[in-house]
Amino acid sequence: MKTEKFQSPRVLEALLTGPGLIWLLVFFLLPTFNVLLISFRPSTLTGGIGEGWTLETFTQLRNPNYPLIVFRTLWVSAWITALCLLFSIPVAYCLARAPARWKTRLLLLIMVPFLTNFIIRVFAWKVILHPEGWVASAFIAVGWMEAGTQLLYNVHAVVLVSVYTYLPFSLLPVYAAAEKFDFTLLEAAMDLGCKRLEAFLKVFVPGISRGVWTATLLVLIPNLGAYVIPDIIGGHRSMMLGNIIARRLFSDRNLPHAAALSSLLTLLVLVPMVVVIFVRRRREAST
Amino acid sequence: MKSRVLSVFAFLLLLLGLTACSGRKPVLRIYNWAEYLSDDVIEAFEKEFDVRVIVDVFDSNEAMYAKLRAGGGGYDIVVPSSYQVVRMAREGMLLELDHAKLPNLTHLDPLAEKFTQDPEHRWSVPYLITSAIIGYRGDRVEEIPDSWAVFDDTRFQGRMTLLDDQRETLGAALKFLGYSLNTTTVSEIGAARDVVIGWKRNIAKFESEQFRNGLLSAEFLVVHGYSSDLLQALEEDERIRLVLPREGISIALDDLVIPVDAPNPDLAHAFINFLHRPEVAAENMEWVMAMSPNQAAYPLLDPDFYANELIFFNEEIFAKSETIFDLGEEDQLYIRAWNEVKSAR
Amino acid sequence: MKRSRFPLWVTAGVMLFFYLPVVVLVVNSFNQSRSSGPWTGFTLDWYVRLMGRRDIWMAFRNTLIVATGASAASMVLGTLAAFALHRYRSRLQDVHYTMIFTPLVVPEILLGVSLLLLFVALGVERNLWVLFIGHTTFCISYVAMVVLARLQDFDFSVVEAARDLGAGPWITVRRVLLPLLAPGILAGGLLAFTLSIDDYVISFFLSGPGTTTLPIQINAMIRRDAPALINALSSLMLCVTFLLVWLSQKLNKESRT
Repeated sequence: MKTEKFQSPRVLEALLTGPGLIWLLVFFLLPTFNVLLISFRPSTLTGGIGEGWTLETFTQLRNPNYPLIVFRTLWVSAWITALCLLFSIPVAYCLARAPARWKTRLLLLIMVPFLTNFIIRVFAWKVILHPEGWVASAFIAVGWMEAGTQLLYNVHAVVLVSVYTYLPFSLLPVYAAAEKFDFTLLEAAMDLGCKRLEAFLKVFVPGISRGVWTATLLVLIPNLGAYVIPDIIGGHRSMMLGNIIARRLFSDRNLPHAAALSSLLTLLVLVPMVVVIFVRRRREAST
Repeated sequence: MKSRVLSVFAFLLLLLGLTACSGRKPVLRIYNWAEYLSDDVIEAFEKEFDVRVIVDVFDSNEAMYAKLRAGGGGYDIVVPSSYQVVRMAREGMLLELDHAKLPNLTHLDPLAEKFTQDPEHRWSVPYLITSAIIGYRGDRVEEIPDSWAVFDDTRFQGRMTLLDDQRETLGAALKFLGYSLNTTTVSEIGAARDVVIGWKRNIAKFESEQFRNGLLSAEFLVVHGYSSDLLQALEEDERIRLVLPREGISIALDDLVIPVDAPNPDLAHAFINFLHRPEVAAENMEWVMAMSPNQAAYPLLDPDFYANELIFFNEEIFAKSETIFDLGEEDQLYIRAWNEVKSAR
Repeated sequence: MKRSRFPLWVTAGVMLFFYLPVVVLVVNSFNQSRSSGPWTGFTLDWYVRLMGRRDIWMAFRNTLIVATGASAASMVLGTLAAFALHRYRSRLQDVHYTMIFTPLVVPEILLGVSLLLLFVALGVERNLWVLFIGHTTFCISYVAMVVLARLQDFDFSVVEAARDLGAGPWITVRRVLLPLLAPGILAGGLLAFTLSIDDYVISFFLSGPGTTTLPIQINAMIRRDAPALINALSSLMLCVTFLLVWLSQKLNKESRT
């Protein structure tokens, strides 16, 4: 009887899909949709939400400063993602080839720093990059930097600290994929005359492609909306889209404008992503 | 494996249960700035009224407002700045105060009325007065002029900060130019905006939270910051110097208010009244390092503390300085100017 | 055949990179300077003061409860979702897939405001359950993504083989599927846990009286209070984590031999 139930694929599919889907419908889609509707509401000058419907908020988005900020957000996020992947793939390879009893140990060792508080880690970076700290002194001695200037409060510092923060997000999925990669394939490739690096790039990297893809999503997307790191580590020349949204919400008290910007950001990411994902899924399904 | 998971859950449920039944006593919930209320005062109140006090903290008027506005309340006492009080009252977020339950209001210094838009205390009772001034490192920087013009000085490029607050920073520029910091004249605000854009090229960043720690660690050499924070920094490190710019400053009054959905308004009234007992007010002032406009408390203060002109300003400074008021719809002028400052290159 | 040492060097470098701020943080927790600036002398004062801070410990406890609950719940929900996504190709799964990764796209602030508006509309009191629900919502997607990566080229013939050998569905799941997926689920759970204990934006909106979490407390304290105090707390947390990791390793070894 029970077996029968499990053998009916539709029922099993519904059982597997249901809990998560319903949770997200109630606690994610419904409330978010509600807020997105607010972007079609007029904002009152005192910070409330007006009656009726309007497209006015969207015409306000034609702010001449936005293209630069959108471009910077995309560019910085792309850099962060690329650097995270560059570091995670060799590390994941190393972890996956480590002796079994070392694997969990190393993984935990990597994760432990991230069990401290995020803001505190960011502040530790402020100590490291202090204009009179040892990094700055070394840089001044080598002549990379002028005395009295700042290492902090620019785009490079934002990229550095973001890579630090998001590296585990790319490392975990890449490792999860690498861990079950069949390493004899690498040896086979080399037996067939591949160079070591060539085998690594042509066999190992494609072999963990889904892990890499997941890592890209997990790093790129949160960074597009990030605002805490640009706020603490960045200066006034490294403002990102997330900072603008936060400002519209908190200091301008303009919920419709914040909602419109958020929905714009969401669409900007979602549309290309949906296309890519469905193409991938179709291709995977057909092979 | 399964039993371990189960035991974790049992532990969690136990903890949750403990929180649920730990409070038989009435509870007073306060939403305040961090380090803005003496722990001893809280303890004394808990003991005398046999209640439990929960203090939650926020880091800006704006964040607090955004949360309460969306309905994230449940607090009995909130401590907004006075301009925020008007806004909250207008939006129907505040409870009208019952003066019969607040006999200690008679101790209030009439001076405080200059700094509030609610002089009859219909919605709010003055709590503490602070100001936004300049602090610098005496060991790294020679004497600086007592003027906002210091932010034009290229010698400290990249080592100065201005507050990340549209009204405070544009207000400093307005004062620098000799205008009122509550002006609604477009050309004056425009001139102030251009001044701030000039300053922006010299500063490391706009910073409302880290100016104090940055000054203490010498990461920043000259900062624009709130007086209570800078005074606490001075206590810790005597190499720090404070300056009151001669053009005038903004003086802020933070108020005690009761949200309209407060679970325990009677206890909230009792707490406001308690804070204005002269001996309590005096103790709290010395702890926070800010002035409470409570006349009866002044004689109880340490004479050195009372003589501090950075806390108890003299007539001259009071005459030149102003408080940021809520401008209603005209606030948009400042929002627009500030956005232009932020996006200027 | 000799393996390249290059990945090993990168790993060592990354480890160094990961632990550099941690070392700074631990060292500064013994620094007399309040602002974590230059070294001014050794002290244990921060640890002593930490012990007396009821508010910090309350926030710490709240954070642990929410993070444990949210990572456990999202591990279950996320794994189920990943499994369904991998196993089936249907219209429903297309919708499901879109639903799983959109929360990653929506800016956190928006998520926070929208959840708060929902709970206000429902008239729910803001207790720890509300935080638990909020955190689980954004953790599900992360867990599902990580488990899904693990499921790549998962060979379902293993499951069929087990069934052919007479294993019931429950046994198949417990003895075959879960062990195979465990590293992925564990990785996802760890990610969810770290996300939850670090979340500021969503918690800020969803916390109510008495349910302040550590990031909120820290954010408010960092302005006026000493970072050194938080450094001390973080160092203690690190010690406890290391201790737990070491214990679990030891227990594992003993149970195996």
